[in-house]
Amino acid sequence: MDPVALGLDLAVIALIGGGLSLDRRGAFQLMLSQPVVAVPLLALCLGAPGAGLQLGAVLQLLWMASSLFGANVPQNETVASLAIGGMVFLTQRHTEPPAPLALEGMAILLGAPLSLVGRWAEVQTDRANMLLARRADTLVRGDHPERIGRLPWLGLVRAFIVGAGLVAGGALVGFALLGLLHHALNGLTLGTAITAVEVYVIPAVGLGVALSHLRRRRALALATVSFVLALLLLRPGGSP
Amino acid sequence: MTTTRPRVGGFVLLQVLWKSFFFLAAANYQRMQNVGFATCMLPALRRLHRGPELRAALERHLEFFNSHPYMACAVLGAAVRMEEDIAAGTASPERVRAFKRTMMGPLAALGDGFFWTSLKPFCAACAVLGLLLGHAWAPIGFLALYNACHLSVRVFGIFRGYRVAEQVAIDLNRLRLVRLSDWAHVLTGLVLGVVAAQQAFVARTSGLALGDGLEPFLLGTLTVISFLCLKRQLPMLALLYAFALGCIVFVLGMQSIFPILGG
Repeated sequence: MDPVALGLDLAVIALIGGGLSLDRRGAFQLMLSQPVVAVPLLALCLGAPGAGLQLGAVLQLLWMASSLFGANVPQNETVASLAIGGMVFLTQRHTEPPAPLALEGMAILLGAPLSLVGRWAEVQTDRANMLLARRADTLVRGDHPERIGRLPWLGLVRAFIVGAGLVAGGALVGFALLGLLHHALNGLTLGTAITAVEVYVIPAVGLGVALSHLRRRRALALATVSFVLALLLLRPGGSP
Repeated sequence: MTTTRPRVGGFVLLQVLWKSFFFLAAANYQRMQNVGFATCMLPALRRLHRGPELRAALERHLEFFNSHPYMACAVLGAAVRMEEDIAAGTASPERVRAFKRTMMGPLAALGDGFFWTSLKPFCAACAVLGLLLGHAWAPIGFLALYNACHLSVRVFGIFRGYRVAEQVAIDLNRLRLVRLSDWAHVLTGLVLGVVAAQQAFVARTSGLALGDGLEPFLLGTLTVISFLCLKRQLPMLALLYAFALGCIVFVLGMQSIFPILGG
């Protein structure tokens, strides 16, 4: 393992983590921070175009219901999915990786709680921003009220640092843990079990999350009908 | 005697639009998006007011404000128009305050219902399906579809709000976002069904096939159990770890009974 190359990869992961954390809330909100975009984007920036597509799709399903409503702060899907992607890509690039499905399944199980850590960090950022609101009041009463235009930048810098730190830290810790579990994941027992988790459990929970988000009964009925119809079309020999 | 009504001009409106992309940068628990709103208004206020008037204008826009970040653009556009009227002396500052207080709640509900719970899941479900079918461009399609709607609403909000002020509420109602939201939910359901079927196909080809075409049955059963548990407010992570633990225990048990399994 080359520590310089690992450090460079971590720096890229931190930059992407910080940048996409801004897109999630503080700036633009173009949805680049959604797992389905963020994970393939991270792979692209690490020089592995086309990697992480399946992982991004599964992670998107898991956090489909994560939306910012008013003062509600949801689980931070951006931090979790980028850290999970980081763990997977670092393991693939710097060690002899286990089977891809077992690796992705274990990375998701290790990294998913980071969505709660990310939420906690976001709550703390909002609390810290109360100082910016008070500073805005002071500036407006002073001689240069137009200086309040600088305050959002301070909020953005804080959000960037928090996002970058969480994603890079999470990816590094996960990479180390995956290294410790390397032999077990290559073994028959845990390897098979985690592959089964990746193939059946995680997609099922993700689909459950996505379906529970639907607000119309006929949407659920349509989901069932399209599932059956698609199965008929996708069965061996049934594909058009 | 005629008085010239001060105008901010198109360039200032573009500056307001640009700053609206950072609307939530200083969101806080005290007055939510107040700093974001005031800084978005700053280019227009600087053009319209000087000295104590500028200070008073900024103070009224530093009041509590909480809405949907995209839909807030309509309030911003209308507020710029009202600030012109205030600078011209044809409106009172209370008018813009009342407008903001009245509009922020309904626009938040409209924006949350359309963008967060309908459009985003629909676009994301389409992108997930695209990726599962092997189309690497699916994330780009997701961004293009979502942002076509997102950016249109931002631009429409600023410029239409500026043109018609309070009447922008009627124009936003004409966009029929509630109806579109219903359709997006239905279409999302349709797409998710295909995603589930494709996922079952992935499971069949993963090396962990159950044989006899049981993969869709297992995936469907787990999905229904997940759906029911989540509807009863069980946290997603708790469900994920419970299922994963069950799966690991099951595989361990099976391997102790049938050591050949998985070989």
